[in-house]
Formats: sequence, C-alpha cells, structure tokens
Amino acid sequence: MATILITTLYISLTIHIFLIGIAVWRVWRGENSIDRLISTDLVTTLMLAVLVLISLILRDSIYIDVALGLGALSFIGTVALAKFLADEKMF
Amino acid sequence: MDTILQLLALIAVITGTFFSVVGVVGLVRLPDVYTRLHATGKVGVFGVVLLLVAAVLWAPLGWGKALLLIVLLMVAGPVTAHAIASAAYRLGIPMKDAVRDDLESERKKME
Amino acid sequence: MVSLRSILLLTLVYLALTANLQPLNILTGILLAVGITAVLPHPRQKLRWRRLPGMVLASLRYAFILLYDLLASGIQVARIVLSPKMPLRPGIIAIPSGCTNETAVALSAHAITLTPGEMVVEIDDAGVMYTHMLDVADAEQDILAAQKMRRELLQKIL
Repeated sequence: MATILITTLYISLTIHIFLIGIAVWRVWRGENSIDRLISTDLVTTLMLAVLVLISLILRDSIYIDVALGLGALSFIGTVALAKFLADEKMF
Repeated sequence: MDTILQLLALIAVITGTFFSVVGVVGLVRLPDVYTRLHATGKVGVFGVVLLLVAAVLWAPLGWGKALLLIVLLMVAGPVTAHAIASAAYRLGIPMKDAVRDDLESERKKME
Repeated sequence: MVSLRSILLLTLVYLALTANLQPLNILTGILLAVGITAVLPHPRQKLRWRRLPGMVLASLRYAFILLYDLLASGIQVARIVLSPKMPLRPGIIAIPSGCTNETAVALSAHAITLTPGEMVVEIDDAGVMYTHMLDVADAEQDILAAQKMRRELLQKIL
C-alpha cells in the first residue's frame, strides 16, 4: 500500500511541475496585465502544491512551514499588485 | 487502521491532482479574464486543500500547520479572486459574449 | 479589557504553529496574544452566554452547507471546463444581500466567491452584490433562495 502511495505522489509531483510550465508560458504570453497577474497567482498556488507533495514524500513537516510563508506572502503580493494596477497608487 | 488512512490519503491526492489539471486546462481554454478566474480559483480551493488533507491523514507530525494552511487558503482564495476581478472591471476589460450585465446598467442609471 | 475570544484564537494559532504543548510554551502564546490584542484594538461585542448553543449549531450548519455547495458546484465547473463544446453563458447579476450588518455582508460575499462558478465583482453601499457567474440562466432562483437561507443563519450567528 505504501509503495502505491509513494508512486502516486511522484506521478502527482511530475504532473504539477508540468502544469507550472504551462502557467509560466501563460505569464509570458498573456493577453493583458490582469491575465498575467492571474497566471502568476496560479504559479504560486501550484508551487504550494509542490511543497506539500515534497513534504509528503520526504515525510518532513518543515516544508509545510515554507508553504505557509509562501502562501501568506503571495496573498498580500497579489492583492497589492491588483490594487496598484487598477488605481495606479498603493494607498 | 494505517491501511485505511493510506487509502484515504491516496484518494485525496488523486482528486486534488485532477482538480489542479482541470484548473490549468480552464486557464488555457476559457475565453476571458473573468471566466479564467473561476478556473484558477479552483486550484487553490480544491487542489492544494486536498493535498493538505492527505498530509493531515498520513504525515506523522505537523498536522496543526496543515490545518492552519487550509484555513489560510480558504480565507485568502476568495479575497484574491475578488481583488483581481474588481481590478479588471475598473480597468474596463470587456467580457466576451456576456449574456447580461446588471452592473453596467446600474452604472448607466447613476450617470 | 481585551476580548477573550481573540486571545483564545490567537493562542490556538500559536500552538498550532509551534506544535509544542509544554506549559511554558502555552504561557508564551497567551502573553503574545494579549500583547497583540492590546496593540491592535478590535471592536468587541459582548459574548451572550444564553445564545451560545444556538450560535454553535448555526455555525456548524453554515459550515456543512458551505462544504456541500463547494463540492456540488466544483463538480459542475469541472464538467463545464472539460466538455468539448464548453456551454458558457457568462454574465453579471445583482444579488441583494439583505443584511445591514457589515460583517454579515462580508461573510455572504466570501461564501459566494468561495463556491466555484460564482464570484463577487462589486458591492455597493446598499449591500447589493454584483456577482459574475459562469452560467447565468439556470440558477438565479436557487442563488436567491441560498442567499436567503444564509442570511437567516448569519443572523443567528452574529
């Protein structure tokens, strides 16, 4: 059972890294700035997924700490960037 | 007991990966900014949360942090989606083949 | 006087982050929580003990309804994205929230945006939520009924 789970985790990790590639391509070839912002947010979300998968494969909870920091920072960054794009000022 | 937990974790990992794939396929296929936001919001709410559920079920320690990250994602995901959608509407990015737009008619009534 | 509820929540967050249940660590968490609530004051409302059981029941029911909505509409959006023709009818409709309390309006907007397929774009001063939907035609009655039920539950919780 454990080997099936480990194999599934490795396959899922490969799929997620491939998906990050597609999302980065969308950042490069976006239609407008908001489209690129959406793709950037998606890249960080997929990186969270990769960190959680690595934590599951290595059975080490320190990677979930990294994921917490990345999640909080990307949330603030995306909201601030959306507000800056719309209003041309930060505060 | 351990086998049941591993089976549940396996199901959670497979479902989460499926929803991540659906989100990225939606990002590529859907026509405009607003509909794409629906698809990408789903990666955050379903994909990562189901992987974290697997982490809560299977990993030996650190399930408190995983639960905290689930709560953070559930609270932050809608806020991000709303911020981006509101910015797009204020920038005047059009909707492709929209059926109706109550906000536009409300704006016209105000002027 | 600081709010007991926020101190409890902040201490729980600290304990979940450190994963360490020694008494000294718990004391550090409580001290940090008291410090944070003293530095960042929060408009507090009185905890009414008599309404507490109804409040907890309503919160549980709210969470279950939210989870059910999440699953149902997640599967629906996955079907829309994966079907080859993509039956899209996007549009923005106005949903009156019917709440006067600002927290209740914010929580309804959060619940609507959390379910895939619906996303709040703008809220005006009267509490009307302008919601972007993937499929406008089929579900307007359902959305209004769901908002009515959500409003009654939120009035019990707050």
